[in-house]
Amino acid sequence: METNFILAGFGGQGILLAGTILANAFMLEGKNVTWYPCYGAEMRGGTVNCEIVVSDTEVSSVHKQDTDYALVLNQQSFDKFVKRVKAGGTIISNSTLVADSRPRNDINYIFAPMTELANNLGTSKVTNIVSLGVLASVCNIVSKDYLAKGIEKVLNEKKKDLIPLNIKALNAIEKECLV
Amino acid sequence: MEKEKVLIKGNYAIAQAAVNAGCQCYFGYPITPQTEIGEYLSGKMQGLGRGYVCAESELAAINMVMGAVSTGVKAMTSSSSCAVALMQEALSYAASDELPVVLVNVMRTGPGLGYIYPAQGDYNQAVYGGGNGDYKIIVLAPSTVQECVDLTYRAFYLAQKYRNPVILLADGLLGQMMEPASFGDYPYPEVDVSSWALTGAKGREARKIYSVAPDEKKQIQHIYDLHKKFEVISQNETSYEEFNVDDADYILTAFGSMTRNIKAAMNVLREKGLKIGAFRPITLSPFPYTRINELATKKKDFIVVEMNMGQMFKDVKYAINGKSNVELVNRPCGEWLSVEEIVSSVEKIIGRKQYAASI
Amino acid sequence: MQQVFSIPKSMKKDFKYTFCPGCDHGIAIRLVAEVIDELGIREDIISSTSVGCSVFLYDFLDIDCVEAPHGRALASATGVKRARPDKFVFTYSGDGDFASIGLAESMHTALRGENISSICINNTTYGMTGGQLGPTTLLGQKTTTSPTGRNVDYYGYPIKIAEHIALCEGTAYSARVALDTVPHINQAKQAIKKAFQVQLEGLGFGFVEILSSCPTNWHMTPEEAHKRVREEMMPVFPLGVFKEVNNGN
Repeated sequence: METNFILAGFGGQGILLAGTILANAFMLEGKNVTWYPCYGAEMRGGTVNCEIVVSDTEVSSVHKQDTDYALVLNQQSFDKFVKRVKAGGTIISNSTLVADSRPRNDINYIFAPMTELANNLGTSKVTNIVSLGVLASVCNIVSKDYLAKGIEKVLNEKKKDLIPLNIKALNAIEKECLV
Repeated sequence: MEKEKVLIKGNYAIAQAAVNAGCQCYFGYPITPQTEIGEYLSGKMQGLGRGYVCAESELAAINMVMGAVSTGVKAMTSSSSCAVALMQEALSYAASDELPVVLVNVMRTGPGLGYIYPAQGDYNQAVYGGGNGDYKIIVLAPSTVQECVDLTYRAFYLAQKYRNPVILLADGLLGQMMEPASFGDYPYPEVDVSSWALTGAKGREARKIYSVAPDEKKQIQHIYDLHKKFEVISQNETSYEEFNVDDADYILTAFGSMTRNIKAAMNVLREKGLKIGAFRPITLSPFPYTRINELATKKKDFIVVEMNMGQMFKDVKYAINGKSNVELVNRPCGEWLSVEEIVSSVEKIIGRKQYAASI
Repeated sequence: MQQVFSIPKSMKKDFKYTFCPGCDHGIAIRLVAEVIDELGIREDIISSTSVGCSVFLYDFLDIDCVEAPHGRALASATGVKRARPDKFVFTYSGDGDFASIGLAESMHTALRGENISSICINNTTYGMTGGQLGPTTLLGQKTTTSPTGRNVDYYGYPIKIAEHIALCEGTAYSARVALDTVPHINQAKQAIKKAFQVQLEGLGFGFVEILSSCPTNWHMTPEEAHKRVREEMMPVFPLGVFKEVNNGN
């Protein structure tokens, strides 16, 4: 059983970090996982995405043409990746920055005001972590407990004091908020 | 060191493995997609009191490695494709001087400057080399981040064991991706270098490490000796992996990170009832000619899948030596051939053959 | 009977110079050997050799040597020194190796202030390949690749190596000497010694450019060649110390 995720947004939104936390969560859960980044030449402002593949057996290929889940934090990423979601797959969008449109009828749409929820916690910088919380709410192979462990593992090295805020961000979403 | 798994990029895995292997000096110049190796090592090496130089060029970097390893220590450089091209002269010298140089090439796209897309276009550059004269390099090709660790260890060991340059041929995909890997301790014994390393002529005759032999007989003998050594390396160190080859009609063959795609394609095709196996050389040089020839003798056809215009394809064809058939499924660079693309290419090849056999 | 002359201990026992008659390489190598003896460092030396006539150093000196490709001696030496900071590392090159094909490596070694000593033989031509135009060929000089003489419009200018190396902040010592007269030979030996001492004291890069004759390619007798060193080379490449850093200075 293999599932893949694309996380996408613009540079500076913490996409690669969110992907790293998600991949760590899977690793800590004892699963096989790969993380693969894609970004433009710009260090900030360009589009950025990463692919995470999780599998019970060895991951077959790191970079796939389609995806089970797309987690998109801005409009350009929605426009680009809505086409790459598998039939029956799910696109999860940051409704603060992505307009509610549903161009295909063979996939599921989830919208949540991720940047707004992050701002409520005092900083838009944790939008990426809020988005992971949303992902865990709609995807049953992603566990919030392991995401919390992933946050601790990744932030423990240099940003230990930010762990409590990020755990809060992970739990910012209530299932009822999802549309 | 406990065998805890960490989620780590291929580039960082190579760098940390070099540290664990006891690499005493690193010399390098930045180039995407391997710059993280030099970045990671800069702080580490300084902290450990080991040598690190931001070299003025790749030319300088690999010559610094040659100087360092001549004293008996382990040392390495890392680079990518078009910049590895600059190092070919030094590799020819290092092979002739029998210096245990370790070079990591995280391949990008060529020819020329190309771009940072992943590719496997440096198979020929690594295996056949761009330096002058008859020389051979040991080439190891990892397919996972774990193997970035394991084969980096092996590169340092083989380099010193045989006094021969070793290239670790990774690709941009492997360098940039993260995957869980465990390090463990450097698993090989330390090689005794005291019989040849330069340490100053104290209490012994002066040593010179050089390749020029202004004597025809000596030069001829030197080249014979180098090739005899490589025959020993071929016998002892050739390594490969194979999957489901016993009953296979077709064997998918790939190197490096493409290996995982052919394994997945094999599984899909097996589910469809086709007898498909997979084969993957771990050492590209020495190449597993003998094993491929054995399999070809059993009338198994080969399908080579690679991200270049058919470079390893020629070695497989040479190994098969007409005993079975070989086909190529390839793309020059960029997006890795997906499992679906490989599956459909294989189905087309098989369909074509069956049609040809039926008329 | 009092012995007033002996072969330096650092020279190989059975060595026989293979340089052309009248070539200054023999004197330069002997001076290096004397300095090695006087400093007592023979057993600590690892030398990175060059390509050109200077390569034969390893046939005459009884020291550990590793060969470097043409122009890469200083890069190789940097590798040796970083791997074994406790060893004494020096290079011995011609002007082609040091200042043409290897200029980047030479300059950057000086800029990094590597504790390495380097000697460069400047004879205004590529000697081993038969006298072609090199980086130090004088204006007006005829060579096999400047048959009508080096003119600026066509060939550009020669490089003043010792002055350039002196500009590098990592350089501890840079001097130009000559071997045309006995007093100059004595000065040359002192300069080589100084370039070696700055390494021993950990002060940085030590460099000596030695103006040398190449009678064969200059088509001159040895005596005429030394006259040329004095009359044609020295006005362009003046002798002197261009940089000297002392301990605590």
